[in-house]
Amino acid sequence: MRRTWLFEPAGPVRYEASNKAMHDLAERRLADGTPDSLILLEHPPVFTAGRRSRPEHLVWSEREAAARGAAVHHIDRGGSFTFHGPGQLVGYPILHLGARPDAVAYLRALEDAVIRTGAALGVELHRRDDVQTGVYAGDDKVCAIGVRLMRTRVTLHGFAINCDTDLSWFDGIVACGLPDNGVTSMSMLLDRDVTVDEVRPIARRALADVFGFDYVQAPPDELERFSPSLVA
Amino acid sequence: MTSIQMPQLGETIVEGTILKWLKAEGEQVERDEPLFEISTDKVDTEVPSPVAGMLTKIVVAEGETVPVGTELAMIDSGDGETPAEAAPSGATVTSPDSPTIEAGEGSGAVPSDEASDASTAPASAPSAPVSASAETPTAGAPSLPDRGPRSQILSPLVRRLAQERGIDLATVAGTGTGGRITKADVMAAVPSGSGEPAASQPVAGAPAPSAPAQVAPPSIGAGAAEGETVEPLSHIRKAIATHMLSSVNETARAWTMVEVDVDHLVKLRERVRDAFLATHGVKLTYLPFVVRATVDALKAFPMVNSRIDGENVVTPRAVHMGIAVSYDAGLIVPVIKDADAMNSVGIARAITDLAARARAHQLKPDEVQGSTFAITNPGPYGSLVSVPIISQPNVAILALDAIQKRPVVVEGDAIAVRSVVYVSMSWDHRLLDGEVATRFLARVKQNLESWDFAEDLGI
Repeated sequence: MRRTWLFEPAGPVRYEASNKAMHDLAERRLADGTPDSLILLEHPPVFTAGRRSRPEHLVWSEREAAARGAAVHHIDRGGSFTFHGPGQLVGYPILHLGARPDAVAYLRALEDAVIRTGAALGVELHRRDDVQTGVYAGDDKVCAIGVRLMRTRVTLHGFAINCDTDLSWFDGIVACGLPDNGVTSMSMLLDRDVTVDEVRPIARRALADVFGFDYVQAPPDELERFSPSLVA
Repeated sequence: MTSIQMPQLGETIVEGTILKWLKAEGEQVERDEPLFEISTDKVDTEVPSPVAGMLTKIVVAEGETVPVGTELAMIDSGDGETPAEAAPSGATVTSPDSPTIEAGEGSGAVPSDEASDASTAPASAPSAPVSASAETPTAGAPSLPDRGPRSQILSPLVRRLAQERGIDLATVAGTGTGGRITKADVMAAVPSGSGEPAASQPVAGAPAPSAPAQVAPPSIGAGAAEGETVEPLSHIRKAIATHMLSSVNETARAWTMVEVDVDHLVKLRERVRDAFLATHGVKLTYLPFVVRATVDALKAFPMVNSRIDGENVVTPRAVHMGIAVSYDAGLIVPVIKDADAMNSVGIARAITDLAARARAHQLKPDEVQGSTFAITNPGPYGSLVSVPIISQPNVAILALDAIQKRPVVVEGDAIAVRSVVYVSMSWDHRLLDGEVATRFLARVKQNLESWDFAEDLGI
């Protein structure tokens, strides 16, 4: 079992705040005996652009997106554009991958955890990594996955499961740069309102099953990274 | 000196792109200090230096994509170590303090998952009028130096290439660092006249996601001959390559052609061209006629409008017509939704709109998916006959080639000069048979030859 700090801040957390916290925790994970971490949260509306983003994959202009309430952040993960916002469970596992890091095995394991989460809810999901990682129902992506490694060893960024996300936000982008694939949510798939609060404990358990997490409450000073002053 | 190599971040990751060098030549770097950033098709990372020392030489420039294990740079750590003793592929990024990940069940079966997943076709693979020629990036004939002690270290790419092409690596002389066998060495060992490598790949061994993109720019000195330029494949090009190859690998493609007399259509178009533009604001091409005629045939033969879904055949009632459009980044197949509810004017408008927005990179995601059938139209460029690749999950794609005046035998055994065109279709023999495919094409032909489209043009 891996002793893992669990962060589940209440309420939406601004992207900049959690992005900094994630990088800080990863630096510390590399530097000293800090355990692995799992952050499960929601963001206010925001578009993020990975290193493989192409301008034409942004359907709305950055100004237009900002005017609608979702700024565009250019960040250090791989992949293209994605959207985060209310109704979406975002997970940032900060894991040390060991001496022979296998990024593909890590991605497979993340997908596996999301597929198990879907199965627990009664939705059959699958991976479709012919072009890109992620978890799909049919041709539609229900969970975006984008990962970066810090110094090849510690994982950054993670996954985003659409629970009852307002999917019209995805009109603003060609999600993940893949025009061939649509976007869906757990609520759409189950034809009922599936909230983040419902999915969170299921995802938490699926991740523990796959990665062997032994969750412990993070120390209070660490929890302050997500204190209300940082919450939007 | 320590040789820095493209690390292996996973068994199935065979290449990586240098995003950024974080140190310049001549700069000092600490052990475990980030040295460069790489991007693979799965994940990005910065890579730390395995030793402290001076970065003496950068071999692979930013933006270049190279196979795992390729030498990227040299660091002089002042210990007199020779390059040949540097760590093998992947080991340059190890750290002594690292615990081993407890991989959960399911994460272990990576290679087989990869293979099976790679064979899953994307929803709307773009289609090409003709399959791309398989130009093999064979390096210029290398001289054969001594094979050093590292000649047994093989990158996964080299291993796979050798396996696919049936090359015994023991017979290949390595020209890479320390005598390692490189991709170019394997390609040079392929017997000449063995044909297109892509076509000769075993179907079952579906390529890894990045496989069609293996035209990695050779590192300096190993690759382009004088007078050649080397550019990395674009992301979109790689995606197209993957989609094309998976269609070729998964469909049982057969092909049928008919000749259609379109003399009256040519005359009609000449007569109404200006009025059509004035009335509807878009140019009148032959494509709307062909879409109309094809939609009717799809209604008559719904099987051609269907798709295979696992053990089932799914046949939609509506026709969503994909139209192959080439644009600067490659090829895309925007979809005319509910084409069966449109007349020729509506179809002409939809084609003009979709093509314009495709070329302006303004298509929305749902406008390039969900086609039930597709048409490609290489005719304007002068091709007489094309054999398109099926845009999966569709089971057929129709090609409209160039309209030409030709002498044909008409009624009464007379020879006349008529405008004719070859209309052909690639179809998936898994689902369709020759009878259906041919009767379908005959219906398209009959529609084009017998319908009076004048009333359909709203002028």
